[in-house]
Amino acid sequence: MDKQLELLQGTLDMLILKAVSLSPLHGYGILLRIQQISKDRLEIQQGSLYPALYRLEHQGWISSEWGESENNRKAKYYRLTAAGRRRLKTELHNWKRMSDVIAGILRTTPEEI
Amino acid sequence: MRLRSRLRSWKQTLLRRSHVETDMDAELRSHIDSYAEDLVRTGIPRSEALRRARLEFGGLERVKEECRESRGISFIESLAQDLRYGLRMLRKSPGFTTVAVLTLALGIGANTAIFTILNSAALHLLPVPRADQLVTVGQSIRNTKGSIHRNVHDDDSFVSYSEYQVYAKENRAFSGLLAYSAFTETTLVLNKPQPIMGTLTSCNYFDVLEIRPALGRFFSDSDCAAPGESAVVVLGDSAWRGTFAADPAIVGKTITLNRTPFRVIGIAPPGFDGTVAVASAFWAPVTMVKAFRPARDYLADDYLSWLALIGRLKPGVSARQASANLNVVASGLNSLQPGRITAVTLSRATLLGMPSLRTPLLIIGGLVMAAVGLVLALACANIANLLLARAAGRRKEIAVRLTVGASRARLLRQLLTENLLLAFLGGAAGALASYWSVAALFRFTLAHLPTGPELNFSLHLRSDFNTWLYAFALSAITACLFGLAPALRASRVDLSLAMKDDGAQSQTGTISAGRLRNFLVGSQVAVCMLLLLAAGLLLHGLYRAQTEDPGFRMNDVEAAAFDLSGAGYAPPRAAAFQQQLLDRLASLPGVDAVVQATSIPLANSHDLTGFSTPDKSRDFEVEYNHVSANFFRALDIPLLQGRVFTAAEEQSGAHVTILSQSTARRFFPQQNPIGQVLHGGGEPNSGVTDWQVVGVVADAQVASLGDSRKLYLYEPAGPAQQADLSVMVRTAAQDPSIGKELNTILGDLDPSLSVTIGPMSDTLEFWREPARVVSVFSLILGTLALLLASLGIYGTVSYGVSRRVREIGIRMALGADVRHVMWLVIRQAMFPVLLGALIGAVLCAGVSSVFSAVLFGLSPLDPGSFLLMPAFLLAVALLACYLPARRAMRVDPMVALRYE
Repeated sequence: MDKQLELLQGTLDMLILKAVSLSPLHGYGILLRIQQISKDRLEIQQGSLYPALYRLEHQGWISSEWGESENNRKAKYYRLTAAGRRRLKTELHNWKRMSDVIAGILRTTPEEI
Repeated sequence: MRLRSRLRSWKQTLLRRSHVETDMDAELRSHIDSYAEDLVRTGIPRSEALRRARLEFGGLERVKEECRESRGISFIESLAQDLRYGLRMLRKSPGFTTVAVLTLALGIGANTAIFTILNSAALHLLPVPRADQLVTVGQSIRNTKGSIHRNVHDDDSFVSYSEYQVYAKENRAFSGLLAYSAFTETTLVLNKPQPIMGTLTSCNYFDVLEIRPALGRFFSDSDCAAPGESAVVVLGDSAWRGTFAADPAIVGKTITLNRTPFRVIGIAPPGFDGTVAVASAFWAPVTMVKAFRPARDYLADDYLSWLALIGRLKPGVSARQASANLNVVASGLNSLQPGRITAVTLSRATLLGMPSLRTPLLIIGGLVMAAVGLVLALACANIANLLLARAAGRRKEIAVRLTVGASRARLLRQLLTENLLLAFLGGAAGALASYWSVAALFRFTLAHLPTGPELNFSLHLRSDFNTWLYAFALSAITACLFGLAPALRASRVDLSLAMKDDGAQSQTGTISAGRLRNFLVGSQVAVCMLLLLAAGLLLHGLYRAQTEDPGFRMNDVEAAAFDLSGAGYAPPRAAAFQQQLLDRLASLPGVDAVVQATSIPLANSHDLTGFSTPDKSRDFEVEYNHVSANFFRALDIPLLQGRVFTAAEEQSGAHVTILSQSTARRFFPQQNPIGQVLHGGGEPNSGVTDWQVVGVVADAQVASLGDSRKLYLYEPAGPAQQADLSVMVRTAAQDPSIGKELNTILGDLDPSLSVTIGPMSDTLEFWREPARVVSVFSLILGTLALLLASLGIYGTVSYGVSRRVREIGIRMALGADVRHVMWLVIRQAMFPVLLGALIGAVLCAGVSSVFSAVLFGLSPLDPGSFLLMPAFLLAVALLACYLPARRAMRVDPMVALRYE
């Protein structure tokens, strides 16, 4: 397995939005979901997840409610709001543009200049 | 919508704070537990799994703090927390809190009080409707060739009657332009003559100010139609209530002002005392000026500045446009005199619109402001010092908080909140104290200033929004001044060192703190030195004023001042009056001499005009006095050269003059002045003539106390001056009845003449009172400064000693001499003190000349003050060092070494 990648600055919010857009999740669940999808190639500081969740909730992109977790533990579930869905869309769009641009730059060969 | 969600989350955090906290706690714990369970499932023992889960999660408290911050609320929340914590800390050390709050209250209170006075005087608009539309119009005249003839009454920014009419008619900027001449002293005869002060006004005065009468009516245009025709008067509210017992029937009745019957037509409303800082007892049409000041034709003199102007701007006209328009009008006046250039300036109309009053008040106010500001700075330095010492004691607390995850910014904010709390407590106490005491203080000061009994200040001291804002801003600035440096220092703690209770680091770790403290002490001493030196100078000046020999006789001389010309006497009638007075006084037993003079020495009446030598090589402004020939002998002013006036010269009013010695030297250096000629004025109506010098007398402080070198000359009291002469009676011995006799005789001669009678030595009080007020004020400030500075020094040294107990112990254990150790402590402490003292002395030497008016001839660099005060301050500083240093001497090496 490759060495774990450190998360790019500013991408955690987008990943969280994406994770809860699939289904409502609690904090630990979000962490597991991201690791599962990324096949454990991303390293996320566990502690840093919560300030991000609180920030997103404060901005109205996700909402939370208490519920039961799969192993009968009380857990706080986060779900995407309508505003969050729009936000995710623009973030994805921006991300795509950004990665295209960067990929373009990196692909450049000496002849093209 | 996002806003709504934010508001919701804020509301949640604010209102259901504990709920949110438990929620957050439960959520984070559930995460750790779930993770631990997953780890257990992979075969790790439970206890190890929990440990790993916690470790990987990171600092729980730090995460919580970050979560709180991302909710956005944490600023307000942490502020509340900081305030609670700050209050607790302040309560925990009541001694420190009391000292700091009291010091600040004193400093901020004094500053706010002075600001209240300045604010009321210089910044408040006039107490009339829509005062923001009112502007004072001041005229200035420059000349391009030669000198332009101009007479000035009160202020040279004033205009003549004809100039006022031009401005009023031709301007397009004002809906109305009023003119007035305040400070019109006159005599009101009810049962006995009494002096009152009022204002002569143009007849649109009340209309422009938009003031409605409380009773009766105000002036109409017809009242100002012709000079001397309409003898009507409006009474001020306080005069009406005081002198006329608030009798409503007074309207329509006639009162006698300066022998002229005036019909009372109305009463001004309460709260309106006129447009200057001295309350007006009455208002009369400006066309009636002859009744009040008969000596001169005010209305016809085109070159006499005597009317102040206030205009009400038309709606939509800016002050700039008005200024431009009026300057056009002003340039039209240039044709009056060849070479004249007339300009006007507009300023907001306040009670201190007159530049000749405003400028000195603002200068004095600025000085006082600077002095109390310095005391506040001193107080700040002291509190900063205390805070530094406290910060050292709180190192551990701060280190603990840093270790458990508080950020430095957060900690800094908390310390600053504590300081702000302190400053606002002090500021609130100070502002309230000044709110309650400033009026009393102001009255006290006024009572000790030389003012006539008829002066009634219309300055209403008000604490308005400006005042409170000032106190608030001052508190905030103060908090930053005293709190920032100590807080910055305190939050920069080396954790590993601070957590260990190791005394050894206390020396290395506090070097820069020590430097800061030395700087604070040095600046405290500098400020203290400055204030103490000023106090010393002023006290020495006061001593001089009390003991100074003015160079002429004051004892056994009774002076009676009266104004026949103001009372309407023509010179022949005045001469008859004076002759009768002289005859009756001379016949009294025990009277040695009866002297006449237009100015009673030191009574603060000054006549000043230009004199020059015939070849114009020397041209000076000289004060002059018309005196009878016996003036010099009766007042013991020695004749040095030549002779005094002859009886014939007196009777004819001959153009001969007697110079003071300094004056003779200035005009005729290395020449015999006798027989020389001076070219100059001397009488308002006679213009310029030649004066032959017949004698030289010794210098005397007849013009102002402490200054005998002021240029001064005497002219004979001739027929033209009869209406302007007052008398002085010299008795053989102290005779208390002479005053009563004078009063009786003058009352017999003219029962409605208002007279001031008193011993000559009373005139000295005029000079001493301001000196007393200023010295007492500076002494209080100086003492306060000394107290604060010595506390600062004491605190610094004793703190330094307590931190160095161990080092001192080692030195003594190694055999250092006790005295040597003490010398070391004192030397280190005295270095910033000496430096500060030097800087303070230099600063004071630089500014002390501003006090020259109350130093009475004392040099602003008076060696007595400049030696005594520093010696005194250094002695106190040495004592403040010695007391804690003695503790260093008593350190027992064994105890000190075991101490930590």
